[in-house]
Formats: sequence, C-alpha cells, structure tokens
Amino acid sequence: MQRRDFIKISALSGAMATLEACRSPEQQLIRFVPEEELIPGIATWKPSVCTLCSAGCGLQVRVMQGDAEVVRRGQYGLMKMGLAKKLEGNPQHPVNLGKLCARGQAGLQVLYHPDRITHPIKRSGSRGSGEFQEITWDDALKELASRLATLQSSNSANSLAFLARPMRGQRRELIERFLKAYGAPPAVWYEPFDETVLRQANLLSFGRAALPTFDLRRADYVISFGADFLGTWNSPVAQSIGYGEMRQGRPGRRAKFVQVESRMSQTGANADEWIPCRPGTEGTLALGIAHVILSEKLAPGGPTSPAGSLEGSRAGSVIAGWSAGLPDFAPAALEKQTGVSAAVITRLAHEIAQTGSAVAIIGGAPLAHTNGLFSALAVNALESLIDTGRDQRPILGFMSEPELGDAAQSAVPLQGSLASLNGLAQAALLGQPHAPQMLLLYDANPIFSAPPGVRIREAIAKIPYIVSFGSFIDETSAQADLILPDHAPLESWLDSIPESGSFQAVANLAPPAVAPLHDTRAMPDVLLGLAHQLGGDVAKALPWTTFDALLRAAFIPLRTRGGSINKKTDDEFWSTAQEQGGWWSDAPTAHAAGAQGGGSQGAGSHAGSQPAAATSSLVPAAKHAPMAPAAPEFAGTPAEFPFHFLPYVSQAFGDGSLAHLPWMQELPDVLTTAMWSSWVEINPKTGERLGIRQGDLVEIASQQGSVRAPAVLSPGIAPDIVAMPVGQGHENFGRFATGRGANPLSILAPLAEHQTGSLAWAATRVKLARAGGPEQAKLILFAGGMRGFPHEEEPR
Amino acid sequence: MPTGWPKWLLMIVAGACTWALVEIALTPHATRASGQSEYVTTGVFTTAHPTAFAAVKDFVNMHPKHPVQPIAYTHTVHLAKGLQCPFCHVGVDQGPEARIPGVTVCMSCHQVIATDRPEIKKIAAYKARGEEIPWVRVYDYSESAHVKFNHAPHIRAQVDCSNCHSDMTKQTTAERKVDMNMGFCIACHKQKQVSIDCETCHY
Amino acid sequence: MSHKWGMVVDLDRCTGCEACVVACHAENNIPTAGADQAALGRAKHWIRVERYWEGDFPDARIRFQPVLCQQCEQAPCEPVCPTYASYHTPEGLNAQIYNRCIGTRFCANACPYNVRFFNFFNPQWDMPLELQLNPDVSLRTVGVMEKCTFCTQRIKAAEIQAEAEKRDLKDGEFNPACAQSCASKALVFGDLNDPNSEVSRLERSNRGTKLLGELGTKPNVTYLERGTWEDAKNG
Repeated sequence: MQRRDFIKISALSGAMATLEACRSPEQQLIRFVPEEELIPGIATWKPSVCTLCSAGCGLQVRVMQGDAEVVRRGQYGLMKMGLAKKLEGNPQHPVNLGKLCARGQAGLQVLYHPDRITHPIKRSGSRGSGEFQEITWDDALKELASRLATLQSSNSANSLAFLARPMRGQRRELIERFLKAYGAPPAVWYEPFDETVLRQANLLSFGRAALPTFDLRRADYVISFGADFLGTWNSPVAQSIGYGEMRQGRPGRRAKFVQVESRMSQTGANADEWIPCRPGTEGTLALGIAHVILSEKLAPGGPTSPAGSLEGSRAGSVIAGWSAGLPDFAPAALEKQTGVSAAVITRLAHEIAQTGSAVAIIGGAPLAHTNGLFSALAVNALESLIDTGRDQRPILGFMSEPELGDAAQSAVPLQGSLASLNGLAQAALLGQPHAPQMLLLYDANPIFSAPPGVRIREAIAKIPYIVSFGSFIDETSAQADLILPDHAPLESWLDSIPESGSFQAVANLAPPAVAPLHDTRAMPDVLLGLAHQLGGDVAKALPWTTFDALLRAAFIPLRTRGGSINKKTDDEFWSTAQEQGGWWSDAPTAHAAGAQGGGSQGAGSHAGSQPAAATSSLVPAAKHAPMAPAAPEFAGTPAEFPFHFLPYVSQAFGDGSLAHLPWMQELPDVLTTAMWSSWVEINPKTGERLGIRQGDLVEIASQQGSVRAPAVLSPGIAPDIVAMPVGQGHENFGRFATGRGANPLSILAPLAEHQTGSLAWAATRVKLARAGGPEQAKLILFAGGMRGFPHEEEPR
Repeated sequence: MPTGWPKWLLMIVAGACTWALVEIALTPHATRASGQSEYVTTGVFTTAHPTAFAAVKDFVNMHPKHPVQPIAYTHTVHLAKGLQCPFCHVGVDQGPEARIPGVTVCMSCHQVIATDRPEIKKIAAYKARGEEIPWVRVYDYSESAHVKFNHAPHIRAQVDCSNCHSDMTKQTTAERKVDMNMGFCIACHKQKQVSIDCETCHY
Repeated sequence: MSHKWGMVVDLDRCTGCEACVVACHAENNIPTAGADQAALGRAKHWIRVERYWEGDFPDARIRFQPVLCQQCEQAPCEPVCPTYASYHTPEGLNAQIYNRCIGTRFCANACPYNVRFFNFFNPQWDMPLELQLNPDVSLRTVGVMEKCTFCTQRIKAAEIQAEAEKRDLKDGEFNPACAQSCASKALVFGDLNDPNSEVSRLERSNRGTKLLGELGTKPNVTYLERGTWEDAKNG
C-alpha cells in the first residue's frame, strides 16, 4: 500500500467514525411521557428507609429530574423521571439523626447497579449453568401459581420452604402469614452473623429478647468486649453519634473507652486502652472485674448507689457463684486463662468503680464461640453491676416496640439461624417425608455464607423447584429455576422496625422514592397476587391487593398512640407517616425510666412511654438455672492447627451481601488501606517466624478446606490469631465482585454456640503457610498518603 | 483530496485525523444521562474535551445552528398571543434550568384549541401513543465546558430572556442566534459589576 | 460579609468509619478506578482516612486522620500552575478550573498533602450507574487534575438561596457531603470570618494544630488532637 492510499483511508475512516459518533443512540429510542412533572435542576427530598443492614436508619433521598432508560408497557424507551442522586440521613429519625454510614450511602448503587436482573427470567440450561431466558410476568406468575396449587392439592403444602434474610416488619409478617395459610412451615431466616446469642442472653439477664441500645452520650466509661459498635455491629450510626458526644461533646468530661478483643477492630482502634484477651475468655475476664468490685465492696456510680444491693441483681443471679462474690474469679487465677494480667483486671475494676456512668458492651466474636451465651451473660452481669448511671438512668436500655401486628413477637427468633438452615438442609439431603419440593428465596445467599459443613449447596441441588425474588444473580439465586426480580429498595414501599439505636419506639415507613427503572415487581405484591390466585385460606389470610394497603392497615392503629404524628383522621395520619418516613413515639422522660441494675423489673424500664410494650415481652426472672462458666471449644487441635481463625464482618461489605457495589470495593479498608481484595491479618512476629512478608500470598487451612489471600502484617493482632474480612470470594455476584479474593466463611467448621445453635464463627482453628510472593498475591492498597509521613513499608 | 497541498501539511492532516479516530475509538465519552445537545459553545481548546476531535470542532466553533424539530412550533404565534416564557418553560425563575415543555403542556391548551392543524394533530398523536415530543435542545453547554449556569439569579437580576436567547417573538422554532461564549458572559458580568471569579461558573 | 470557608477535624471524635469517603464519591461524581487502575495507584479519594500505627503488640495503637484538601492560604499548588488553573478564590478556597488545566501535574507534585488527583482516563460508568451522577458537579475529563472543592456546588446553591431570600447565610445551614454524613461530628464546616460560628469556636481550641503547619501553608483546615482520659480527669 502506498503512503498516499494510507492517508486517504485514514482520512476516510476518520470521517466515518465521526459520523458514527454523531448519531446518538437516544434518537432511536422513543420518549415516554413523564409520569410526574418535576422542575429540572431543582432537588426534592423524599424519605426512605435504609435496607443495607438491620439497623433501620431513616433516609432522605435527593431526587432530581433526569433522563433514564426504562421499560414501560413492555417497551424500552427514555423517560424524564425523578432519579435518586444522593442519600442522606433523615434528621428527624430517632435512630440516625440525619447521619448515614459508608454502606448506607452506597444504597444508590443497588438501585443503579448494571448487573440488576431487569425482567423475569427462567432457567434454560442445566441448573447453575447461568443460562436463563426472558419470560413475561404473566407466564412466570402463571407457572408459579400452578405449581403452588399443585403442591397444595397433592397434600404437600408443608414441603414448601421459604429462605430469607432476617428482617423486622410487615414484609416478614406477610411472608409468615402466606406460609401459614398455605400450610407450609415457617420461613427459615438465615444470616451468618445473627444475634440470637445476645438476644437470648438479654432475655435471661434483663427480660428482653432484643438487642441493647446504648446512650453513650451520657457514658463516662465504656468497656466493650469485642463489639465493633462504631463499625458494623448493632446500630453503628446511632452508636457513633453517642461516641462523638462522650468524647468531646461535654466540656471537661471525656469518657474513657476500653476495648477487649484479640484483633484490633476499627472500633478497638479508637479505644484509650486496647486489651487483647484470649479468644472465648471475654466472659471470664468480665467476671474477674466483677469479682474485684464485689469483693472490695466498691461502689460504682458514686455515693448514691449502695454497693450492697447490687449483688442481688437479676443479671447476676443467672451466673453461678454471683451471690457468693464469684470466688473462682480472683484476677490472679484468670491471668493464664485470659492472657490479661491481674494488675490490669484490678485496675480496670477500680477505674470503673471511680467513674460516674459506666457501661459494659458485648458483641461480635465473643458471642461466636461455643460458650458465647455464657460470655454474654457474664458481661451482662458486669453491666448490671456497673451501669448504675450518674443520673440514675442506665446507659444500656431497650428500644420500645411499636407493636405493629404480631411482627414484634414473630421477629425474635431464639433459635440460631444456623440451626434453622441445618434443619432445611438435612430435610432436603435425607429426603425426609416432607423434604422441600419448592424453595422460595428472598435476599439470602447461604451457598456463599454458610459453612461448608451444612452442605447447603447439595441440599439446594436436591430441591426440585427454586424461585428467587432477588435482584441479582448470586451463588444461591444462580441455582434458581425462576427468578422474579424485586424492585430495588428505593423503588419499593419500605417498612422496618429498628431493634436498637434509640429508646423511642420506631416504625419506619416510606413510599417508593423513585419509579421503577426495569420490568421488576415488588416481592410483596407478587406474593399477594399469588395468594389471590391460590384462593381459599391463603386469599382469606391476605385480603390486600397491594403491599401499601397492607402497610396502611398495619400502621393506622398507631394513630391513637401519640408520638411523632398528631392527626385527626386515618388519611391524614397515613400521608404524614409517609412524609416523615415513619412513626415514632415520644422520647422517654428521665423520671419515667428507672434504674435497671437492682430491680426485678429488668432493663425494659427504659421503655418509659410505652409501658405495655415494655412489659409484654418481659419474661419472669431467672427461670434458667444459674450458668456455670464454660470453656470455649474449637474445631481442630492446637498441634495441627496452631492458629485461631477470626473472620470478621467487613466495614465495606457487611457479611458479603454488598460486595457487588463498586463504591464499597474501592473503599480503602481503614486499618490496612486495602481495596478490591481480600487479605489476611497476621502479627509481624508470626510473619517473621513463618517467613511471611507484607503482601505475600498465604494459605490458611482448616479441617474444612483452605483459602489463599495476601498477608497484611498488623501489630493489632495477637500472634496466635489470623483474621480475615468477610465479603470477598464470590464465585458469582456481578461484575465487580465475581472471582475477587477469598471467602473465609468457606473454611469455617459448622460449630454452633452450644445453647442457641447460632454459628460459632470464631471457633475454627487453622494452620498458616506462605504460598507465594506479592506478584501472586496482588494486594491492592490505596496509594494516597502525605509526603513526610510515608506509610510503613508497603508494596505499591 | 486537494492536490496543491505540500506533503508535510498532508501528513499533519492525516496524522490529526488518525489521532482523532484512535481517540474516538479508544476513549469512552464522558457520559451523563442523555439529553446533551450538539449545539454547544465553549470556545476554548483545552484537554478538557472527550476527544481531540471534539476540541478542534469546538475550537473552530463547528456547531449546527438550525436544528430540525419534530414539531414546527412557532414562538412568534404563541408570544404574540401574550404567553409569557415561564408559562411553558416552568422553573426558569426557580432554579438552574427551564423545563422544555412536553406533550402534556401543549395538550393542556391544544385539547381544544386549533385541533385541526396538522402540527397539533402530530402532538395529539404523540400523546395518544404515550410518547413525549423528542425536542432537540438548542441552547446547552457540553459536559466538557465545565460550566454551571443558573437561570434563577439572572431572572432575579432582571436580565431579560432575550439578552441570551435573542428575540423569540421573531422566531418559529428556536435558533441559536446568540453565541454564548465566555466573552459574552464576562462582558455582561463586568458591566453589571458582579463576580467574574472563575469558580463562579466553572466547578 | 465575605466568607472564608474552613473546617475543623476533631481527631478525638473521628472513628475511621469512612462514611465521608463514600459521601464524597456520591456527591462529587468521583469515578471508580477499578481494581487494575487502583493497583497502579490511580484510585481517587478526595478525602481519605489515614492511619498511623504506633508500638507493637500488645501495646499497639493506631491513630486515624482524615485528610482532605487543606484549602491553604499559602497554597503550594497555586504558584506552580502555568495556566492559572489552580488559583485562590475570594472565599479562600483553592479552586481547580478544569477548563484551564492542561494536566502538567505540577500542582500534585507541589502539594505536600497529596490530595490532588490526575484523571488518567475519561470517567466511565456502566449503564445505568451514570444515573447516580450529581448534575451539579462537572465530570472531569482525561488529562485534568481534580481535588476537594469543599463541595463548592453546595456553597453556591446555599448562597443563591440566601440571596433569593435576601438574608445572610446561617452557620450550619449547609455542609459539604463529608461533614453532613459524619455521625460523630468529627468534621465541622463553616465560615471562619464569623467569630461565632462553630468552626471558629473549635478552631480556637487549645487542641488545635495545622497539618504540616511548619511548611507555612496556612491551611484553613484545623485538626484537634486526641484528648486523654487522664487529662480530662485532672481538669
């Protein structure tokens, strides 16, 4: 080819490319008439509810007009519509007071995720092949309804199984009602990091089977046993608000914060004193502190509370040997067991006793040992001893229940979710008489998050027909035969009942913040539609045609309960509740809340404005025999598996269900700056001993299997512990998460907490070896740092 | 191909074309929800363009001036009947943007007025199909202009619409008669003694 | 009254939760770099939380420190810019004018805080993620520098609103995205020209320090050192 020809060709093709670029694709799409008239460029704020964790924070969604590609009447087109642009906290909401965490902000990307399932699909290849074909809603619902009807008419209604992530609110109510009327067993609610142990402990110690709420604003001394309360545990936004105030919100009065844990968490990193303790001995340590206070007759809370009366507290009575002053828990005797020196234990007891308002918190790993319930009861007993309150009001209390329907009761499973999942898996695997014939999946991904010993993958393979309501293909929904995608949360009617974070009763409610983008349908509406098609008892139990009608029926009784909405008519109440993002009771007044420590009434007394709510779930004290200390058990021998394995809830991904969000993937972990990857935290001494350097590839092996990930050397972890964040290691979860990192849950032993059946996720032992250099490990760290203050030697 | 050109010039032209082509092919455009107009002015040549070709095009002010609209709307007729701009262009006095009226706005009058005219029938047909009129935007800035304009403060400062949009009483469908480049903005800002700080508009 | 925008970062309140980081991404259309580009050090975070380890196990301690553009009064990034893209606004911000920027990256080189970021690529979002973009903020294109603006779009919107209502801006009326999301109130934003604003009050705290203050950059961001329990107890 001559040069002249080349020039001609390049000029010509350049011109063609330009023409191509000018023809914009939107000109080929039709434009739909907008469904609502918005003024361009002006933001409106709509209330919503955060669904990315169970805390139930209130949202304000910034909605602005924009052009979106949508499906209407089965046709693609462009439409000017309100689009969610930013999520902020709802300033009026009692839990989060206008603040929002990192995960909550990323709720926007759930809505706009490129991997969302945009229309109903039906399996076309073999199961798990990932081959699906599009199907219309009519056909999909016809198929599902006829299968449900067949199952019911062949007397096998009880072989319908429903598997979902635990939730509190009317969605749960709807699911349970549907199953009950249909004749199926109750739903299986599964999540790996469930809080059954703590609820059970609080039931025994304080008479409330609920998560605790902490008014940290008034605390002068906080001792936390493993609870990542500023990061991922319980109601982190509410707790962070209180934390800020207890540090610098009261001039001249700064609280001390002590964290006891074996791996420094984001919360532990903020502690004034960080005390590493041997895994599973947190309860013993708490009783050691209690021993000093009891035996030295120290009077916590200053002169107003007589020390003598404290010994008879309800929480204490659940612990064997409490009334005798815990003779077996002298600090010197605990040194070897806990790894904390007697001097430190004694000093902590003295410090706590000298301080005004002290609180003891337990959460996370200490509860995830086989003796988790004992540890929780022990810390609760210490809590009741020290949390007498400077102003005669304890820091720890419980949120009032709004008492909507029977959601409040049904929402408290006291069986660990691992036990329920095991029941389902065993029934399917063993082909028991009523083994599940059909599985409905909603927002649960046990194939990713259950330990391999449960064999949930094989169990699910044996179930003949699986329907998922999920918005994404993940490891579990990839096995489905039919996927009926739900709306994204911001496109849905939402409700939830926060379990902690405020002492007011809160019932969240929000209408859709934006119109649906895709050809999806709200799961509750689909379920109600199916109920109608099935007829009979099911239709009678669920007389509503849409979910908002159900919500309205549930919310209207709140009108006469006072609180945040004062309206004369039901209609006014209903529209105001939608504008406010829900209903909440008035804040309890100081004198209405009694002291929690000594009385037999228990800590439910915080529910000042709702006495009925507070007492209804109280159980008589001390039915349980006093609990003797139990040593933690571990899977694997120390000789073969020398390290304790600590998977922990990730700051970015929670239990892994948010790993598909690009903002979360690119969020540098605050302790390591790692992004887009998994890593294993190892003490530098351990690394030195095993020849492992920062960024090397290491292999962690348990009895159940092994995972590989890059090593991060961290001074904040005990030499006999290796820790790994949960969330990565997805096989099949969208373009941003698939094939990235490793899943620590996949090597967990299926050990359960002995009393409750919750997964003991911190009870696996592992061995550790170097498996390769940094080039194989591919640890990605955020490069940003100030000059003059370089980070430690880190591979870039 | 012009034959009288020196070889080196041909080389440069061909090189530029190839570069533009490669850039267009390889570089994804900065995207924003669609609705961007081709009819834009920036008048600067910087790297702040999606492609070098776009920068060149922009620099030499290559913009079509007379877009073909789906409906032969007549500003002349409507304004002569006493309609005010914000009646259809809602929001112009409230916030940054003015709404371009859709089929709902048109049909709120034309349900009954002049229903027999062919153009009105076209609008009615859009409405019957549930479709919006695909107006082509006339006044707009490209994303790469990095300029933020807010109508409301200008209206409050009594800047007449015709200052920037020329006399619409003399136009049928809108044409870009005023070249809104930076000099045009600055001249007015200087005259009215308001901020000419870069960040007032560029952020 | 003219404004001088500033911020106070209370290190005693900061928990390292990184809500500010995601809030900033959402507000300011910061593109996600992706794993491969992030591995090359091209991830962008206008605000980041740095951490500094001290000591060894079991006495290991860590300090968190959110770092964003310090909006220096004597900004090293400004005089080095050959095109005046990096300059000082009358309200005391270090602005970056994308139109002027030709991508020399001199400013990034001069900035001691490492808070300026270069666009190696045009921003790209997989459909329909681009719908999340904030229409009030420019999309920076390939070859330009970008940095924290103190959410200047929010400042402008609030000023325009106040002007429309013929009143002065109120302290705390608006916040940058990072400060708005901050649950423990570690980030406090406001007008340093108003002696009664919360940010002015906190800036006068005896815990206040400037980041790399010895360089003479005169930042408009003040850091409040962590307190200790013993100090508080002894008054």
